[in-house]
Amino acid sequence: MKSTRREFIKNFGKIIPVVFFGLSFKKFIETVSAKENASTHHPGGDYDWNQHYYAFVVDSTKCIGCGRCVVACKEENDVPKEPFYFRTWVERYVWLNGEEEVKVDSPNGGFNGFPVIYDEKEIRKSYYVPKLCNQCDRPPCVQVCPVGATYKTNDGVVLVDEKYCIGCRYCIQACPYGARYLYPKHGEREPRRNTADKCTWCYHRITKGLKPACVEVCPVGARKFGDLKNPDDEINRILDENRVDVLKPEAGTRPKVFYLGIDGAEVR
Amino acid sequence: MRKIHVRVAMVYIVIAIIFLIVRSFIVPPSFGEYGWYRGDSVSEIMNLSVKHAGSYSCSNCHQTEYKAWTTGKHSTVNCESCHGPLKYHVDDPGGSKVEVNATREFCGLCHNENPSRPEGFPQINLESHGNGFTCVTCHNPHYPWFD
Ligand code: HEC
Ligand code: HEC
Ligand code: HEC
Ligand code: HEC
Repeated sequence: MKSTRREFIKNFGKIIPVVFFGLSFKKFIETVSAKENASTHHPGGDYDWNQHYYAFVVDSTKCIGCGRCVVACKEENDVPKEPFYFRTWVERYVWLNGEEEVKVDSPNGGFNGFPVIYDEKEIRKSYYVPKLCNQCDRPPCVQVCPVGATYKTNDGVVLVDEKYCIGCRYCIQACPYGARYLYPKHGEREPRRNTADKCTWCYHRITKGLKPACVEVCPVGARKFGDLKNPDDEINRILDENRVDVLKPEAGTRPKVFYLGIDGAEVR
Repeated sequence: MRKIHVRVAMVYIVIAIIFLIVRSFIVPPSFGEYGWYRGDSVSEIMNLSVKHAGSYSCSNCHQTEYKAWTTGKHSTVNCESCHGPLKYHVDDPGGSKVEVNATREFCGLCHNENPSRPEGFPQINLESHGNGFTCVTCHNPHYPWFD
């Protein structure tokens, strides 16, 4: 059979849509089955992220404001040492006699401890409140990321992909807790420069069965970390037996950092 | 169907195919593996290096300090709270030297009187307590008090 060029092109034109639909159907099947896999399938060797779901408890009645957690966090996670870059920090809440307003300060995030600034007699009430990423169950930071560089893992931790982040700062704005910062140009860890950075509950430690660095070094047990899916973990007992608060419940973010001994409405 | 329709459809399809090809080059292979993100990023973060080794890892080599520490008042204070992250030292004890901070200010981080601290926590006046001697002249940092 002899065909003209014209006919050849016409026939070719009929084949292309068939191939195209075939390919997109294949792609569709692949994505659907990947979604199904996500519950059985997991990254990283022996560690199965579907067997864990983590929570964090901060007992502010125990915190002595020594700042060892802030130091350990920066060391463990290559966070720049100067002020304004923190994955975790400690705030001091002070109510003075005869004053309504609470005074909050956090000199260098608590890195060098807290100098005494008020006389004992002037103070009505005062305590320390350690802060870190709340690893929200409904994270606003993840919703606003335009490129899919921040996400929630199956074990409930919000992470940032330093290779994919474009440094647009939307997530930093979206976080009601101020838990994110932009990793500076001069930061020690090169691939992380100019990307959003935040607490990961030391994901590289907890997935090896270790505690986060801040929990590890806390001298008084003011920071507790545990696995909600493990019934023997003390975190379950602590959460069952105590009245706990979360920060800014009105933001609807469902935080997984629970606080003991804070004045709910006033500590935010 | 008129010829013009076929032509428009063809142009549309060609553009769609070019888009798909370009996309497959730009989007990393593991994107979408678990959700709308790069799946490999999870294992990259899991593989970051650990820097705090934990107190138990010191027990073999520093038995005296470790034994004293487990029974003393500082047993809740991790070795690395005072000595800093030491995974590098556990892996290579002969390597770079471990800095030891024995100044009064260092102990004061935890023990200086401060009204924001819980009342039951043992606090001293950093200016007057111990007459200005370093704390370790009277207290063993690994076993600071008797019971
Ligand atoms: C594998 C054995 C080993 C392990 C494990 C080990 N060390 Fe050491 N450490 C040594 C040796 C050997 C030295 C002496 C090195 C030197 O003098 O340069 C030393 C020195 C030190 C010093 C400095 C002593 C001085 O006088 O300057 C400190 C502090 C210390 N270790 C703390 C620790 C802590 C805390 C841990 C646990 C995280 C630990 N070491 C784990 C072997 C070990
Ligand atoms: C409260 C803080 C603190 C803790 C907790 C602590 N150390 Fe020390 N450590 C010190 C100080 C301060 C010195 C320096 C003592 C001196 O100069 O006499 C020291 C000295 C040492 C030395 C050197 C001893 C020497 O004679 O030169 C070793 C080894 C050591 N520590 C190991 C450990 C180990 C192991 C642990 C955990 C079991 C630990 N330390 C926990 C504060 C601490
Ligand atoms: C990281 C915080 C931290 C540092 C640094 C620290 N301590 Fe302590 N210290 C504690 C804790 C926690 C206790 C236990 C308190 C308790 O039993 O309620 C304690 C208890 C003590 C006690 C016993 C007090 C009592 O009444 O039972 C003494 C004495 C003491 N420390 C001395 C020191 C000296 C000396 C240093 C410096 C080498 C030092 N501490 C550094 C956290 C610290
Ligand atoms: C000259 C020896 C000497 C020096 C130096 C010294 N202490 Fe003491 N320390 C004592 C004695 C004795 C006591 C018990 C009596 C008392 O409470 O004053 C004590 C008690 C303590 C207590 C328990 C207080 C309480 O209320 O339970 C702490 C904490 C403490 N010292 C920390 C320190 C720190 C931190 C330093 C360094 C800044 C230091 N000491 C330096 C001798 C000393």
